[in-house]
Amino acid sequence: MDRSPDIECLRPAGGLASHALGVGLRAPHYADVFEHEPAVDYFEMISDNFLGAAVTPRRVLARVRARYPVVLHGVGLNLLGHTPLDEEYIDALCRLADDVDAPFVTDHLCWTGARGVTHHDLLPTPYAHDLVEFAAERACHVQRRLGRRFGLENLSSYVAFRSSALTEWDFYSTIVREAGCWSLLDVNNIYVSSQNHGFDPDAYLAAVDFSRVLEVHVAGHTREPSGTLVDTHDHGVAQAVWALYSRAWKRGGPFPTLIEWDAHIPPMTEVLAELAKATEARMVT
Amino acid sequence: MTREAPHWLADFQARFGDVIRTPLDRTSGTLAATTSAYDPRIVTDILDSPTGTGADRLAVYNRQYWFRLFDVAQRAFPLTSRLVGYWVFNDYVARYLRVRLPRGWDLDHVVDGFAAFLEDTFECDDPAKRRAWVEAACIDDAWRTVFRAPEIPPFRPSATHPRRLLEARLVPSPALRIVSEHRPLLELRKCLLHDSSQAFVEMPPLLPRARWWALVRRDHGILQISIEPREAELLVLLGETSVRDALARVERECAPEERALLPAQARDWLARSVQLDFWSGVSSEG
Repeated sequence: MDRSPDIECLRPAGGLASHALGVGLRAPHYADVFEHEPAVDYFEMISDNFLGAAVTPRRVLARVRARYPVVLHGVGLNLLGHTPLDEEYIDALCRLADDVDAPFVTDHLCWTGARGVTHHDLLPTPYAHDLVEFAAERACHVQRRLGRRFGLENLSSYVAFRSSALTEWDFYSTIVREAGCWSLLDVNNIYVSSQNHGFDPDAYLAAVDFSRVLEVHVAGHTREPSGTLVDTHDHGVAQAVWALYSRAWKRGGPFPTLIEWDAHIPPMTEVLAELAKATEARMVT
Repeated sequence: MTREAPHWLADFQARFGDVIRTPLDRTSGTLAATTSAYDPRIVTDILDSPTGTGADRLAVYNRQYWFRLFDVAQRAFPLTSRLVGYWVFNDYVARYLRVRLPRGWDLDHVVDGFAAFLEDTFECDDPAKRRAWVEAACIDDAWRTVFRAPEIPPFRPSATHPRRLLEARLVPSPALRIVSEHRPLLELRKCLLHDSSQAFVEMPPLLPRARWWALVRRDHGILQISIEPREAELLVLLGETSVRDALARVERECAPEERALLPAQARDWLARSVQLDFWSGVSSEG
């Protein structure tokens, strides 16, 4: 099924340069941002934190948006969930995206809940052929509802299923293509999954259509005593991930790049220093 | 509308969900995943790896589920969790989440109802300490409720209101909560918000007498306003019954020496409550 991006229904990416560097903005940094207005090209805000009725988060969001472009990154879409998409959630997401004039909106290729129970985690499925069309149709629907570019993020995963019929990269890339949507490529997640499951991360990169990459995420991870890598977002970015980022840039740059740091959050100056490594990584030959 | 999911997906996700919600074992003194309790139909579909079996890998999600929700609850109940201690607090969170599974996308709603659950189930041989812990939970819950309340214009009585007001019920603002404390818990809560140590905190001593507070959200933050016990009683009744009835009931509760002062006090309390945006409107249903 041809679901090429219907350009007429999509707002332009507007204002986000292809070399842009951004930060996933978290509450400990609000005061710093309001006082010092750090030199950041854009911020990413977690959609779900701003969809409710609470007044203070909305005011914070408005203040940030008054000074910076804001993209929205969600965790609650449940795209691979077995139940119908939550249209009320999508309604709220559309309103929020319009309010901040988000250049694009992203969420994850995952499920979060089943039979009415939400796990508040990004959960994997087997990479099954019959999930591809299912997921693609839902992603296309979300993008049409949003009226702007919608990006799907690849997960980091800790389990590989015997019943998978496809590689993760084929599953992910095919869904993005069939949906006519975009990729939010998380290179830390590629690295984490590659180490956990023993595949070559460059094979993953080779399968990515970089003409459909909206943005790249980098983040830190943690190695558990067992050796399993977990996507904890509580450290700076590992050297191996920066190296993978360099190779991704060489393959398909330029693309906006954002650093996520969600736990043990250091001062903004330290986050920005880590983000600056992206510039160095881009210049590696 | 998009197509239905493949037929196997619902069953897979239900089973996987059951696995990751498996309670963590506490008997060793640390929280540990009980991989032997996992559904074998899920376990056998997970490939082993050099760093662990399929069950070990599933345990990553199992621990992540519980620790994320413990963290959410600790942040939502900062006073309670530090007074009770995280080990005991997490146990009650786990018990709560087993009877009230998380639903909906909003993580903030996961602990709606936890304060009431704690009041019903908290086990403690010392009644005074039990009361303190329950009060702490009510205080934490009041703060989060006031913070998250939607913005609704405050009630401002018009010239025609006074005559009808006596027969009407005042509708409390969703951004208002009345709390009481027999120990300086609100003061302690403020200190803890600047203390990131996560250490257990000793129970503060009893106050000479109980204190009542109104927590109300204003533009610049949440106001904590000291109120008299009788004022608290009136404010609660004003939200439950007509103004006339509320005043009558408070008067009946007053000692003779209080009754003489009540009309002037009630007028002042009512005026202040309107001025401080305690009400969002009036209702004809008393």
